Formats: sequence, structure tokens, C-alpha cells
Amino acid sequence: MGAWDQRENYVREGKPSYLDERRFTQVGRSVPRIDGPAKAKGESIYTADMVLPNMVYGKIKRCKEYAHAKIKKIDCSKALALPGVLAVLTGDEAPNKWGIVPASANETALAVDKVRFYGEGVAAVAAIDEETAEAACDLIEVEYEPLPVLLDPFESMARASEVIIHENAPDNIMHKGDQIYGDVDKAFEKCEYILEREFKTGRPQQCYIEPMSAVASYDTQNGLLRLWASSQVPHYLHRQMSIVLEMPMSKIRVTLPTVGGGFGGKGEAASSEFVACLLSRKLGMPVKVTYDRDEVFFTSKGRHPCYMKWKIGLDKDGYIQAVDFDNTLDKGAYAGWGVVVMFYTASMVHLPYKVPNARTHVRNVYTNKPTTGAMRGLGGVQPRFAMECMLDELAEMMGISPYELKMKNAIESGYTAINNMYTPHTEYKKCLQTAVEKSGYLEKHGKLPFGKGIGLAGGYYITGTAYTLYQSYKPHTSVTIKVDTEGGVTVLCAAAEIGQGCNTVMAQMAAEALGVHYEDVHVQTGDTEIGSFDLGSFASRLTYGSGYAIREAAKEINEKLKAMAGGVLGCRADQLIIKDRKIYSMFEPKFTIDWATVVQKYVNSVGALIATGHFSPPRRKGIDIITGNRVQGANIGHSPTFGFSCQVHEVDVDVETGRVYVKKVTEAGDCGTAVNPMSVDGQVEGSIVFNMGAALYEEMKFDANGKHLNPNFHDYKCPTFMEMPDMDTNIVESYDPTAPFGVKETGEGAVQPTFPAITNAIYDAIGVRFYEVPITPEMILKALKEKKEKEAGCGCGCS
Amino acid sequence: MFMNQFEYFAPKTPGEAFELMGRLGSKARILAGGTELVILMKDRIIRPECLIDINNIEEFKGIKYEPGKGMVIGATTKIADIQYSEIVKRKYYALADAAGEIGSSQVRHMGTIGGNSCNASPSAETPTPLVAYGATVVVSSATGEREMPLEEFIQGVRMIDLKEGELLTKFKLPEPSPKLVGRYAYMGARDANEIDFVNMAVTLELEDDKQTVKSVKLVMGSVFIKPLISTAVTALLTGQKFSDELAAKAAEATQGEAKPITDVRASAEYRHEIVGVLARRLLKEAFGAAQEV
Repeated sequence: MGAWDQRENYVREGKPSYLDERRFTQVGRSVPRIDGPAKAKGESIYTADMVLPNMVYGKIKRCKEYAHAKIKKIDCSKALALPGVLAVLTGDEAPNKWGIVPASANETALAVDKVRFYGEGVAAVAAIDEETAEAACDLIEVEYEPLPVLLDPFESMARASEVIIHENAPDNIMHKGDQIYGDVDKAFEKCEYILEREFKTGRPQQCYIEPMSAVASYDTQNGLLRLWASSQVPHYLHRQMSIVLEMPMSKIRVTLPTVGGGFGGKGEAASSEFVACLLSRKLGMPVKVTYDRDEVFFTSKGRHPCYMKWKIGLDKDGYIQAVDFDNTLDKGAYAGWGVVVMFYTASMVHLPYKVPNARTHVRNVYTNKPTTGAMRGLGGVQPRFAMECMLDELAEMMGISPYELKMKNAIESGYTAINNMYTPHTEYKKCLQTAVEKSGYLEKHGKLPFGKGIGLAGGYYITGTAYTLYQSYKPHTSVTIKVDTEGGVTVLCAAAEIGQGCNTVMAQMAAEALGVHYEDVHVQTGDTEIGSFDLGSFASRLTYGSGYAIREAAKEINEKLKAMAGGVLGCRADQLIIKDRKIYSMFEPKFTIDWATVVQKYVNSVGALIATGHFSPPRRKGIDIITGNRVQGANIGHSPTFGFSCQVHEVDVDVETGRVYVKKVTEAGDCGTAVNPMSVDGQVEGSIVFNMGAALYEEMKFDANGKHLNPNFHDYKCPTFMEMPDMDTNIVESYDPTAPFGVKETGEGAVQPTFPAITNAIYDAIGVRFYEVPITPEMILKALKEKKEKEAGCGCGCS
Repeated sequence: MFMNQFEYFAPKTPGEAFELMGRLGSKARILAGGTELVILMKDRIIRPECLIDINNIEEFKGIKYEPGKGMVIGATTKIADIQYSEIVKRKYYALADAAGEIGSSQVRHMGTIGGNSCNASPSAETPTPLVAYGATVVVSSATGEREMPLEEFIQGVRMIDLKEGELLTKFKLPEPSPKLVGRYAYMGARDANEIDFVNMAVTLELEDDKQTVKSVKLVMGSVFIKPLISTAVTALLTGQKFSDELAAKAAEATQGEAKPITDVRASAEYRHEIVGVLARRLLKEAFGAAQEV
């Protein structure tokens, strides 16, 4: 237990404000976002808006005949003969494999020899306009030899002797792993309550509003390549581009214009980006490739469907003793984030409840469907769904409230899980308590009329990863702060603002650390040449990572300014405080000077102030803490700290039509210090609606040949404004003393409880438990019918 | 994504339109709201050589109501104009209601009532209440006019009774009895931008006793190749005292009449279930409303 556990009250009495590092003035302000006005006015420039002089347009020819086929021949002659066509490109021209995890990288810019999913790109065209490029694509003739199509992971494993998707995966398994901690079988023997269940999750995708777009410009004179792209990971994109184009990274510059959302879907490179660069290098002209919505669906790297078997055992008092978890994931066609997502599902067993014995078997299986990848809350959503539903069921077995069971098992600050995952700080119990109290859960649960229900679930998520995706232990984020008399304060970091609000919170944290105001700070992100290094926007890592680096950089600048101010004021520098655009003595108020005056003096006498701070996450071994043995993949899931969320959903089920209406959601989240509470509310509300869609209707559908049936927003249903529930989101008082400014994540923790909270609420409403999402109206009606038949009895008197 | 090249015509009078249609024949397609046509063209399902935009022809648009005679709605009247029209809401409530459920606000401001019928999609919203109100359509050409019930005009999936040189120009709705009420309902996965699994409209009038059904007509959408009029509901309820049991019986009968299919949106079995639920709810709702008149 850490020292912070004993303290209930975060405003520490008796500590003077100037010595209290937690009395923030800029952090904690609900300031409007930096990118807000331009977006509201429609003035933001997205990649697809860009037009460069002499720019031409690229388009990708996609395989719409088969989901799995050998490419026998590609004939581009007719396309090349079309007036206005400048170049064509085929996969064999750039065969180097790319992928965000180097060990499993197996994608190519365009298909080489084989297509593995419906809609995969087989060739590309550059032409004077998009229309001509599209017409040229139609003229490319491709000869295929169809192969059997494997759409289901179990079928894929079973038929591996007959047909394989990748040469190096003879069993059609992309990767698998076993993690064993403690003695699970022995623990189960002692359990009073044991529950075994199987769960299945659907195949939603991210549905960012802005489709992928890339503008590439290769200069044949100096051999420099510029790429503007709609990406979450400029660094990884940069790296992959270097591999595929066989160019040093120093000759490539990646820039992000405004990005219209990602949610993980832009968390790896895209074919559009390679094609734009390759065509531009071929032509020496700028090339733009923008996807249509169906291309986004064809290539989208949505959430892995999971087929899970679970066994959870409790002792007679309700304490979890053992968890046995078996997971088969549907990988789709290529590896992508596969290894990472797979081991995350395994790591999710260990929080936010104490699990002393655990065993997981996981495997990620190739199928002829679009590659699955990183989607908001990756690897967490599926196991969380199962675990929180099972705890609800176990509580019922015990005859206690799910709230009581969860409180009993919830972890506390300073907890080390059996896989050596360390949680420096948590207010999870406070989340449970707040959501339960504010929603009236205990008064309503089990007592509402038939058709109305209330459900509780919790969850957590990482605040950044402990490791890069390639073998390197360099800092994950570096931030350079420049202070001068012309630009004022400028923060430079190659981070990706994708709409999540990182630029705004970086400005707030920099203002706090430098003792100026949010409005004084400029933020330059999204450029690999201008900004200092950053890994990218994924794993909810940026507030923590950049916050740490900002604090380090600011420390250096503050010391220089204090020395200068001390000289001017005639007092000791180490007794000076910088706050609210002033530098003053903590003891004698008469020693006060404007911050800007000191900056001016410093610049005039020394020059501009520039400092860079770095953030490296703490390293921990992935081991079984009892035996000390290394466990494969067990370091995946470790994080500097974790965010927590609890949700109570109230639903109305129309028992005649099967429609489920989420009426009210009460959420309480532990995001550490809320740097911008308004943004936190936005993230949390967005998270809830995001997974409400995937819980009830969002699903990519395929026919028996792997063809997409709903690659559009007409038939792929996202929630609309009409489906918005009444939201009561609460930020619980929290401060992680190990974190910069006390921060944690908030963008992905709040997606975790949504599936199980809705599912538990449906059970409370109609007495039917579902083990599969999305829970469609048809499923509800079918289940109600079965329940009715069961209640009526089979007529044999067996009851 | 990109449409083929086409020649664009925008006649200002019916005469000009008919002349163009006569001259261009099957090379031309009529452009009204474009909310369906343009999608088909972008998906390259159709590649017309010419488009005749009929939006500039005043004679083909607008809502005209004459007490005692009923309403005439021009084919190029925007869906949003029908949704927000006070007189439509008052006289043909179910039609205004259905119009408000089409697509998004943007679609409703572009799409036309004529297009919604000429597109002949089984899941279309407005044909269902239009048929319930007994609407007829007027089909015009250079040589004259034909008038027929809407349910005859729509012949099947994407099939309408329109010969070369003919245009759908208006809908005629008979004056409803002062005591007639109309109600509309639908079922989909969500409540906006939805393509209905099933939709339905009912018109109902009670005798002076406020209990006995004087007339009733129930029309189903998205469960057959075209709007389907229930004969069973009319037969079971007309002249009877309305009761929940009777409504349930009538609703069950509609399930026997509907012939839904399974597609990406819903299964035939589910649609079959929903037909019964919507019919029962809608009949009861209409009865309740009719008692208040």
C-alpha cells in the first residue's frame, strides 16, 4: 500500500499553495480546445483537402471477385493506354513486407501473388484526375485462380492441411501463447463457486469520419520524400515507409494535417500511403490517394472477434481464486497488431480484480477477411465483457449484489498482479461506489418491472505501453520547449493529434509547468521533422508520456529563468516560484517580476531558451511472481499506470420487438488528474456510445464467399443522435503521485464496461443472459421465446 | 464513385420535358431529388446518357388542398415540404409522419415524393401511407394523362407502370372523412437514417358510438415486392366493435398475408414477428386516436 492510500482528502490542509505541486492553475481547466475554432468554422485542412501544384491522383484496383485467390496475371496495358493515365503500379514493384510489429510483418503495399481478403488492392494507377484513375482501374485485367475461402477461425485451423493463407503459418495460426501463473487446478478444487461460460464478440470497426488519405511528394532532385497522411502513428508510418521504399528515414518526412479520428484504425500504415509514395517516386510529381468509404470498410482494421471459454472460481466468501481463459481470435488476413492484441486479452485477466491463479491459452487465427487490429480499448473489450458478465452471474449464485462482489475483489493502489503487472494507484473502488450511488443501482437492481433493467460493470485500461513495438528502449516521447520573445512558448513534439485533444492538454501541461497560461502556449505536433520523437497516438499513452517530457523540459527552462530572475531581483534562485506569468520569492512578496520581462532579459543576454525532456516508461519483467519464471508475452499489458471506469446502464427492452433502448448511463471514472475535465467528459461519452453501437448493432457482415454485405454507413449501423442515452459522467477525485501532474488515461478505459453493463442490464430486464454481442432484436425475441417455452415446461412434469 | 458523363437538360415546362423525353427516349433518365438516382449512377449500376432534371417545372410541384376535394401533391415536392406541411399533418397525418422518417434531414430536403414511389423500393416510407389514404397517381405524357391507384403504379421491386415518354406528375389524395385517422409506424435497428425492416400505415374511422369500426385499411411496407394492402384487417374489423382481442386477431392475420424476405437488414422470421406487433400496436393507436376525434 502506498502512502496515498491513507489520504482521503486531496486538498492538503496546512500546506502553502506555493509548495503544493497539486494546486494547479492551468491543469484542470475546462478550456476550449486549440483545434476547436478552425473545426467549428470548417477551416481545418484535412489531407483530402490538400492540393499541391502539379498534383495527380492515385486509385487502387481492388479484387472484388474473390476473398482468396492466386494472382495469375495482371495486365495494365489498357489502363496505361487511357489518355490521362501517367503510371501504374503492381505489388511486385514493392515487395518488402511491412507491419507495425516487425516480427510478424507480412503486408505488402499491394497484393503480391495472392489476394487474401475481399477488396484487397492488386494494382494502382496515377492519372491526371481521380475520375480517369478510377476508369483506368477498371481497365486493368487480372487473372485469378480462386482458392478455398476460410471465414471462420475454427474452420481455418481445421482445414489448414488443405489450404493455408500464409506460407509461414502452416496451421493458419498467426501466433499463439500460453500463460500460466500459480496452480489453477489446485485453486479450483478449493472453490465454492465455479462458473464456466463461453462468449463470442462481433466484428465492428472504428468508423472514423475521415477516410484514409495520403499526399506524397518525391523530389527527384534531392531524393527527399514528403508524405502528408491521415495517421495516428507518424513514427511507425515513417519507419514502414523507409522499409517498403528502401529509403533512409532521414530522407522521409511525415506530416499530419488535421486528422478526422482514428480510434485505432489509423494505428498502422495504410496501403494508400505506400501507393501514394511509390507512385510519386515513379513520377516525380505529387500524388494523392483518398479512400472511398467502401475502401475503408474493405481495409479497415477493426476489432478482433473473440471466441472465449472462461472458468472462474470463487471461495466461499466470494474471493476470486482462479481464472482459466481460452481465447481464439479472428485475425483476418494479415498480422498487423495481432500478437499485441492477443496477449492483451490474456493480460486483462489480472485487473481490476485480484486473481491469485490464472491460466490463459490464446491463439490468433488467419481468415480471409479484412485484417483485424487496434480498435479503441484493444484486447480489453472482449475479455472484460466476459469477466464482468460472469461476476454478475457469480454474484447471483452467491446471493449477493454484483456490487458487493466487485468491491470485495477490487484491487487497491500498489497492487502487484501475479504476472508482475504493477498498479501504482487506483480509485477503482471509488468508481464503483460513485456510479452505484449516483444511479441508485442497489435500489433498482432486481426490482424493476419486466422489460426494464439496470446493469453494472467495471473496467480499466493502460496508460501507455511499457515497450516499443520493435526492440528498442529509447524514450517513447520527447518534447522540446522553445521560449523566445517572438513566438512566446512553443511545444514541439511529433505526436499525433487525431481529434482526441492531445494538443490542448499538452498546452495546458506546458503552461502549468512553465508558470504561464494555456493561452500563451503554441503546440506543434504531427511532423516527424519538426517535432521531437514520439511513438504515436495509441494505448492512451500521450497525456502521461508527453506530460512527463514536458515537465522535464520545463524544469530546465525554469532553472535558467530563475537564475536570471534571481540576479535581477537580488534574491536566491532556489527560493523563486514561477506561477501565473510571474516569478516571485516564496518568502518575500516584494521580490516579484513579470515572467515575460525575465524571458526578454534572458533572450537578450543569452538567446532563446530551448530544452528537451524525455519520457521512458518503467521496465518490468513479465514473470510469474511466485516462481519468478519468465512467461511468454507477459510484459504486454504492463503500463506506467492505469485508468479505471465503472458504468451503470439502464435499459428498456421492448419485449415484443426485441429492441433495446439504453436510456441512462451513470459513469464514474478514475483518470487521475483531469487535465481538461470538459475533454474527459467528451472522451467518456464518446467511449460509451462507441461501444453501445458494437453491443447492439454494429457488425461487418460477409457472405459465404467473404464478400462484404454492408461496406457503407447505410447498412453498417452506428448509433445516431437519436440513440444517445441520458449521460451522467463523473470524474472521481484521483491523483497518481507517480504520474506527471497525477494524470492517467481516459480515452479507452471507459469503453471497457459498456458491453457487460448493457448485457447485465438486459438480464435484469428480461431474465435472459447473453454471451454474444451484438445483441440484436432478433436474438432478444428468440431468447424470450425459448424462455417462455422453458417456463411452460416440456410437459413431462420435470419442471 | 464517379458517374459516367451525361448530357444534362433542365426543361422549364411540361411541354419541353415531354419533347425531350420523346426525342431522347430510353437514353434519358428523369432526375428529381437525385437521392437514389445519383447513388445508382455513382455505383455504376446505371449509366444514362442523358438526365432530364424536372425540378424547374412549376406545374410538377407543390401541395394543393381544396376542402371537400382532397389534396394534390406534385411529384417533385420535397419530402421535407410534406413533413412540415401543416395541412398535410392535419389531413393526412400518417403521410407527414412517414415523410419525417426518411433518411436524414439532408435527404429529406433533396428527395421528392415522386422519387420515393418511382424508385419502387419495397422499404420506401411514403408509398405505404399514400396507399392507405387511397392515393392515385397521375402519369402524364405529350399525348395525355393516365390515372391509377399507387398500388397499381408500383408493380414490384424497382418496377413501375411508366411507359416511354411518360412521367409521374402528381399524387391525388381523396378528401378524408372528418373522422378518419391515419397512423404510421416502422421498425429498424435505430431511429434515424434507417432503412425499415417493416413499415406500416393504418387509416381508421369509427361510427358515432366511438366503438364500432366504420372503415379500416392497413398497408404494409417492406414485406412484399410492393405496398401490401391487408384484406384480412378490413374484413375482420369493419362493422365490429373494436377490442384488444380483435386487434390481436387482425394483427395475426396480417402475419399470414405478409411475404417478407431475409436480407442483410433482417430475417424473414423477424419481419414476420414485427408485422404482427406493429399491426396490433398501430390498430390500437389508431383506435385510440379515432375515439378522440
